[in-house]
Amino acid sequence: MTAADPSTADEHTTAGEHRPATGTPVRRKEDARLLTGRGRFVSDLVLPRMRHVAFVRSPIAHARLDGIEVAEALDVDGVHAVFTGRHPTIAPVSLRAQSALPGYVETDQPPLARGKVRFTGEAVAAVVADDRYRAEDGAEAVIVDYDPLRPTVCAWTDPAEITDPVHDEAPDNLLLSRTFRAGDVEAALAAADVVVARELTTNRHGGNPIECRAGVAHFESADRRLTFWSGTQVPHLVRTQLAELLGLPEGDIRVVAPDVGGGFGVKAVLYPEDVALCLMAIATPDVPLKWVEDRVEHLLAATHARDHRYVLRAGFAADGALLAVTADVWCNTGAYSVYPWTAGIEPLMAGGLLTGPYKLADYECTVRGVATNTSPSGPYRGVARPSTVFAMEALMDSGARALGMDPVALRRRNLILPADIPYRMPSRLVDDSGAYEACLDRAVEVFGLEAWRSEQARRRGAGERPLGIGVGIYNELTGLGRAASAGPRMPFRTGHEACTVRVNPDGAVTVFSGVTSQGQGLETTMAQVVADALGVDYDAVTVRYGDTDSSLWGFGAFSSRQAVIGGGAANLAGAHVREKVLALAGALREVDVADLDLRGGQVHVRGQEKPVISLAEVARVAYLQSDRLPEGFEPGLEGTKFYDPIRGAFAAGAQLAALEVDPTTGEIGVLAWVCVEDAGTIVHPVIVDGQIAGSIAQGIGGAMYEHLVYDDEGNLSTGTLLDYLMPTSGEIPELTIDHVSTPAANPTGVRGVGEGGTLAPNAVVAGAVADALGVEVDDLPVTPARVWELVHGGGAR
Amino acid sequence: MKCARFSYHRAVDVADAVTALAEADGEGKLLAGGQSLVPVMALRMAAPEVIVDVNRIPGLDHLEVHDGVLRAGALVRHAALAGQTLHPLAAAAARWIGHAAIRSRGTLAGSLAHADPSAELPAVLRACDGAVHVAGPGGSRRVDAAALFTGALQSDVGEDEMITAVELPCPDAWGFAEFARRHGDFAVVSVAAARFGSELRIVVGGVAGTPHLVPAGDLDGPLDDARVASLADAAADDVDPPSDLHGSAGHRRALTREMTRRALASVAATPAREPV
Repeated sequence: MTAADPSTADEHTTAGEHRPATGTPVRRKEDARLLTGRGRFVSDLVLPRMRHVAFVRSPIAHARLDGIEVAEALDVDGVHAVFTGRHPTIAPVSLRAQSALPGYVETDQPPLARGKVRFTGEAVAAVVADDRYRAEDGAEAVIVDYDPLRPTVCAWTDPAEITDPVHDEAPDNLLLSRTFRAGDVEAALAAADVVVARELTTNRHGGNPIECRAGVAHFESADRRLTFWSGTQVPHLVRTQLAELLGLPEGDIRVVAPDVGGGFGVKAVLYPEDVALCLMAIATPDVPLKWVEDRVEHLLAATHARDHRYVLRAGFAADGALLAVTADVWCNTGAYSVYPWTAGIEPLMAGGLLTGPYKLADYECTVRGVATNTSPSGPYRGVARPSTVFAMEALMDSGARALGMDPVALRRRNLILPADIPYRMPSRLVDDSGAYEACLDRAVEVFGLEAWRSEQARRRGAGERPLGIGVGIYNELTGLGRAASAGPRMPFRTGHEACTVRVNPDGAVTVFSGVTSQGQGLETTMAQVVADALGVDYDAVTVRYGDTDSSLWGFGAFSSRQAVIGGGAANLAGAHVREKVLALAGALREVDVADLDLRGGQVHVRGQEKPVISLAEVARVAYLQSDRLPEGFEPGLEGTKFYDPIRGAFAAGAQLAALEVDPTTGEIGVLAWVCVEDAGTIVHPVIVDGQIAGSIAQGIGGAMYEHLVYDDEGNLSTGTLLDYLMPTSGEIPELTIDHVSTPAANPTGVRGVGEGGTLAPNAVVAGAVADALGVEVDDLPVTPARVWELVHGGGAR
Repeated sequence: MKCARFSYHRAVDVADAVTALAEADGEGKLLAGGQSLVPVMALRMAAPEVIVDVNRIPGLDHLEVHDGVLRAGALVRHAALAGQTLHPLAAAAARWIGHAAIRSRGTLAGSLAHADPSAELPAVLRACDGAVHVAGPGGSRRVDAAALFTGALQSDVGEDEMITAVELPCPDAWGFAEFARRHGDFAVVSVAAARFGSELRIVVGGVAGTPHLVPAGDLDGPLDDARVASLADAAADDVDPPSDLHGSAGHRRALTREMTRRALASVAATPAREPV
């Protein structure tokens, strides 16, 4: 991996001189605790009188609940209570993901199953005990009477075969359907010189953070205040939602997300278990309740993603111009419309961004969110686009073969270029990035495409192991503002973030940011942004986040938004406080503010080396010596700003890889993997490269290893990490990461990098295997067994 | 994933362990490396009432060769087996087991008693026509590899018995090849091959409930490429593998052919060596 040398990190705080923190690999503020095993996770939290919760989970995919017998469980040593969906505190509450989209079918998700269970792993009861061992003893003793119904597992099952719909409100299991239309697609297809068709499926998998879900809920009866420590990506959103669901004033709920061990979207959801835990805590006041999800629960019942089918056609002109795309898309929503994002999260992203970085006028795409008796689908890094990039790039590869064109040349022929910006995509999203060709050019150069093509030809001639080259080009929609808000017309818009910058009485700076971190280094990134905007050293800045009592507001971590939007708010707040500092300094020293500059924590007259006053002294006046405050100045030295980018920043990326295939075993070997992204202005080069490397690794996991498999009865066949294969460092190849930089039109110029890396590996791996073997790869993941079948069991063109 | 309640007995010697198992009356389990037992307990797929910890029993970690046979104590860890040079086939196979942490804890005898058909060491024991020594209430007995593995996860070690030592004859030439989904996974297919004089033994793991011995017969000529290819074909024809998430029957048959070919290529390439 290419990365800037961290050894330069210490150089930037040379005494007396301020150098920008942005762009340098400063030491991460969180590393001292995270790398020495002293992180503070929910699992580490121990409170007086705390008890532990284990959930009883349904072993059946679809059944009526005829009765739950808890007496035996209550007799288990150490068990204090057993809750079911009929408990009076729990029975009235439902999670109901709302959307104003026409035709969207709203459905209820109970905190604990009521009336029936809809997927294997759904929580039907919760046992409260002295420790988790005893809670699981109690859970084993709960007797549930299930009356089985016919399960639906596949989202593209013929609706005529559905006898027992998942929700009565949707007899055909269809929760949502929408058609994206631009131009006249049939006319464009008729005018095309070639039309290619593909039918593709992508594999259900999930985020699997190292830390599974976890929560501690504590309701204090004296002041009727609920504190919920949660490993969530979205603490402020959780507070709002809990207030609505629990009927508590929002100010009486405090949500704290301490250190969180990975999220990847899985923790951007408010889960029924979270709500059940809080309701149980209210029912047992002054007794904190802790639930720490284990891996078996996580694989069964945390949100899944990417269980899709695509039926596609594309028309091309003889010169390679893409003329038309039609798509029919089925997304498996699972048993419930994920709260609060709804069943629309994957299908609408699929339809909105299918065409990716390619220019297209004539487009028709019908997307569906279909309920099944499987774990609910939710946001997972990349949301639908790892599947849509696979689909779009498969069309490009098919088009290139049909036209006899070089696949890279065909892509280049159709890319959105700088002259096209702002480009209105056929889904009406507005693309502000014209860096696709620059990313592709750089990737081709770094990868050495010509040399790999020669090696491929040499191997073919020599009868050696076949080698294939895969290409994936993508547009990652990052930092969505109010005009392009994440999610389908929900009752809230996710466009903004708030940040408070406070200069303390000693002149040091504390930042209260609405962003959250699940290990991606936001503490460091926000400190860099504020240090530069305010004019202090990076080391003088401390960042607090994740506690709704201390920071004003943030939507949190999803849609690659935090550096863009949270960083924008941090920049604006820092600049705002800088103005306050300079104004007070100018008044104290009787210097025109316009002549003053703040750098390295010292106020200077521009062009002069010797400072006129230190920030520490300004702060001392502001807080402790109000007698020195000039007329018109309030005490205190802080400021809060919101930022909303209105639209968002598209981040361009291109990945190329060379893979070899062993036809005797089906084994795939990665020989080279190159990624070039446009992150705009890079705040911290190592964090950015880490985001890209990690997301490519997760993408490779989805492309080659990870698959949540249900049998026909709706039992999860891959219930442990013995069968659900996640890539380890041994499976991830050496990655070459490079950059182009076109700063975005936002305060810091950054473009999001949280998800882009995941978008291409499906397309790259499938494309490379197809290129190596002369076959079409239509189904993911690309496993040795599947490759072997492609070589030996048909599938060759 | 928290195990059910159990009582714990730390055995001071083999007799103590066997007595504790007998007293548990079928509800006891030996704890050695714990790399298979502890996960199934955590999943509550096993809930033994008594855990008999044998890790502190002295004298069970010996590794030595007498008369061309490696004799290993029950507590020899995979890491020790992987690191020794007395029995290169066992060393090569042990390096395929799991990851470093697993190899540091897991034991040879534990793996054999657990009898996972996809595990490496049962295939090696069968390829070397080795044996285990088993202690029980009625004394000690010797069980040949051919009789030890009775089915998937089933071995001829009684619930009140303990493997105390393992005998692994040292082959004149050897080979081990494995195909796994990821580094450290159980084999989809593994092949252990061993030549003793003119006798060639080929054992395939992952294709049946027990390690599958392919009838290879005597080597009456050189183990050249043609012979390797025909033996690999014969092995592929001889197995009747299952289909599962990680490979179809056809894929496993093809893997059997290729892993046999690779293992036999190693056999052919093993340099002649002095008897130890």
